[in-house]
Amino acid sequence: MACIGEPISWPRLERFAQSRADATIAAHLAQCPACAQCLGEITSDVVALPPLAVPAPRRRTQWWWFALPALAVAAIVLLLVIPRAPAHRDNVASIKGVGDVTLGLVRDRAGNILEDATTFARGDRWKVVVTCAPGLDTEIEVFVMEAGKTTADHPLAPARIACGNRVVVPGAFEITGAVANRICVLVASDGDTGTACLTVTPE
Amino acid sequence: MEAVSDPQTAYRAHGPALVRKAERMLRSREDAIDVVHALFADLIPRWNKSVDLPYLYRAVTNRCCNVLRDRGTRARLLEREQTSAAPIGRVRLDDEVVGVALIAALAEQLDEAHMQVLVARFVDDMTQDEIADHLGLSRKTIGKRLDRIRETVTTLRGAA
Repeated sequence: MACIGEPISWPRLERFAQSRADATIAAHLAQCPACAQCLGEITSDVVALPPLAVPAPRRRTQWWWFALPALAVAAIVLLLVIPRAPAHRDNVASIKGVGDVTLGLVRDRAGNILEDATTFARGDRWKVVVTCAPGLDTEIEVFVMEAGKTTADHPLAPARIACGNRVVVPGAFEITGAVANRICVLVASDGDTGTACLTVTPE
Repeated sequence: MEAVSDPQTAYRAHGPALVRKAERMLRSREDAIDVVHALFADLIPRWNKSVDLPYLYRAVTNRCCNVLRDRGTRARLLEREQTSAAPIGRVRLDDEVVGVALIAALAEQLDEAHMQVLVARFVDDMTQDEIADHLGLSRKTIGKRLDRIRETVTTLRGAA
């Protein structure tokens, strides 16, 4: 079907269908069956549009979110690089000129030897071992304190030992009673002293 | 130019007209609805004041051309075109109502600028003045592009 003149474009017909405001278009439509048919197609058409889902606004990304990987790497580097202060251990005494002196215990129960035992029973024999840097020597005095008491027993005679790995302090002793005991060594060298202790509990 | 306030309002107000436009190009109501719905869904996150009705018309034209460039979709639409109702042919290109096959063939030969003019003239039935206003170009430029379109159609027919 041909238009009688210049066809009214589809966008203009769409606008006219909504407002009917353009007199020129109305006059043309009155005389042009082709364009009137096009307008009829628009007005009779029903478009079933699917709903347009508007997504919820995204949360703004915080500026530091982008720095997280760098911060994580920095944290790992700090952990690896920065020397950490050694955790204080009760069984280590730090002595000037000697360094760390570590206390260890050896339990002899009817011939069964157990190193670093933490419990005792009647009849057990205990020996004290110390570890310190080889090439040095130091004074060692062993004392034992029962829990709740303020006085200490000195089961072994003071001894001077040459440092090394798990050097045995001469002598052995027993622990009796039904409460925990702290076995300690007083370490002395060139006027500096320190104490290292371990606790053993009754079985 | 009509003001377009937000995606939902624009979708309700102009969606049907845009669907009809897409349907004139694709000859398929379902595909036309898909094109328009996808356009608005994509526009939602970047909606701004520059999105006006002419922009939406141009965007629908581009998307329909992209649909027709896809060989699989094109074959389906061409097959469907045979059974769909023929449109009212008020403006013809060399005595031919521009259909799916011609738009698809030209979409492979012409750039986006020429396709916009082609669709505006032979699908939307706009005058050259309307096209110039719609695309923000001079009437002379529109005339040149229409000449180039006709040359391409002639070449296509010669090759066929």
